[in-house]
Amino acid sequence: MRNNVQKYMHVIRELFYLRFHGFTVFRLDFFAPFLVDGSLFFIQLLAFGAVYSHTDTIGGWGKGEMILYIGTFSLLNAVNMTIYFFGVNSIPYKVRSGQMDIYLSKPVSPLFRLTFENISPGSIPLIIMSLCIICYGIHMLGMALTLRAVIAYGFWVLVMTVLYYEMEVILRSASLYVDSMARLEQLEDSCIELCMKLPGIAFYGGYKVIFYLILPYGIMATLPVQRLVGDMNLRTAVYGIGVVGVFTAITAVLWKQGLKHYNSASS
Amino acid sequence: MGKYLEVTRIYMKSQLAWRADVVFNMIFTISKILFAYLLWSMVYEGKEMVGQLSFHAMLSYYIISSFLAQLEKSGGISSEIHERIRNGTFSKYMVIPVQIQKYFMAMELGVVLFYAAFDFIAAVIWIFVFRIRFVFAADIRLVVCAVIMAMFGMIFMVQLNYFLGLLTLKYQGIGTFLMVKNHLEALVTGSIVPLMLFPEIIVKMMQLLPFYYVTYLPSMLLIGMCGEEAMTGIMAIACWCLIMQLLIRAVGQKYFRKYDGVGI
Repeated sequence: MRNNVQKYMHVIRELFYLRFHGFTVFRLDFFAPFLVDGSLFFIQLLAFGAVYSHTDTIGGWGKGEMILYIGTFSLLNAVNMTIYFFGVNSIPYKVRSGQMDIYLSKPVSPLFRLTFENISPGSIPLIIMSLCIICYGIHMLGMALTLRAVIAYGFWVLVMTVLYYEMEVILRSASLYVDSMARLEQLEDSCIELCMKLPGIAFYGGYKVIFYLILPYGIMATLPVQRLVGDMNLRTAVYGIGVVGVFTAITAVLWKQGLKHYNSASS
Repeated sequence: MGKYLEVTRIYMKSQLAWRADVVFNMIFTISKILFAYLLWSMVYEGKEMVGQLSFHAMLSYYIISSFLAQLEKSGGISSEIHERIRNGTFSKYMVIPVQIQKYFMAMELGVVLFYAAFDFIAAVIWIFVFRIRFVFAADIRLVVCAVIMAMFGMIFMVQLNYFLGLLTLKYQGIGTFLMVKNHLEALVTGSIVPLMLFPEIIVKMMQLLPFYYVTYLPSMLLIGMCGEEAMTGIMAIACWCLIMQLLIRAVGQKYFRKYDGVGI
């Protein structure tokens, strides 16, 4: 077990060096994710600033909670962009072009390598920016932070980062079963675009079933914020963990079964 | 003129090859309307008006601005030019007997004409699905002004995206800049929230920019508001089209000779 962990840590280190080597060739691309996603969340802040200038609360959430929400979604997205997005995002292309062969023939888990091979250090400023937004939200709320609250918030961010990752893998695993991924990527974009603007508390009825259960983008930033502001009850916590557990199982099955469908080039 | 009409016709027909795209583009316009519906349902709880707009006027604004934003598909022009200059295939446009900018305008017209009907159907469907009491301008002059302004707005966006694409001849990698531009565009055209919700000083500043007249002001005119800005708006966006054309000419003359057809 210990040897296995050491081996995988070594693999991560080598992949990181390789990635840096790539950046020395395409230097302008280094800060691209920061500039693109940074502008996106900055715009969200401006837009909600405009909305809150005409109302005090939205669904019981004041401006402070909404800033926390935007900051938390930005943080989840930043971790995603820094660690695994560029790797996981390349899965459909690698399946279609037959490049997956090389991943299957190496003595390392293919998904592990795909996950960590395109780490993006240029997105690290995005994490710092997100933390600044979160601190601003906490300041707006006038909250007295306790170590326990910070650890609990960190735990939920970590759990939701796993869920974010699993959703990305699930949607891209579909490329092992179907010919075109365009619709699923369009679906993912639309859901993320909606849920990064609207906290989960906005959903009700059928919308809640969709964004809390079927495509659980609605809980990703909502639960950490609810925990931080003290709105989370035991039922919500159990539900959140349960959803992540179910999606972990779905991810594992879909990926494993999907690889059996892989027929090398032109899959 | 005939050859550009032919380009328009070909691009209209070529959209038929991507029938699933048309259907899914229609379906996914729901995300913008759903966002507006859920957000403003909460904001309007216990309120009649927000920024001079009733709940149904607000949703009507989103329906119209979403329809206009969907029609505006010129973003692909800058990325097409960017890609083709970088991989050296921009020559395709240089060897055919057309003016490149007019070719892209004809192409955009073909795509817009094709999608207009489907986007209109989608807008009508969402009005019924979300049970919106649709607010529409009673004054025909406002409608005419809005249509003229929206047309100028689309011409301006084609010009802007063509201009940005040409900048690849100078700066090589403008992909990141284009993505940032798309995000900013969503805010300054009022696609995320109506610009009237911003402080007055910001609205005044926005009025100096062309984006104010691309989606926001035509949408407001079509719900019967901001009538006093109609004529000045048309003149402002027409002036911006003129300015952008001069910029394109200057940049084109300076940088086209840099293109060597082998990619950069």
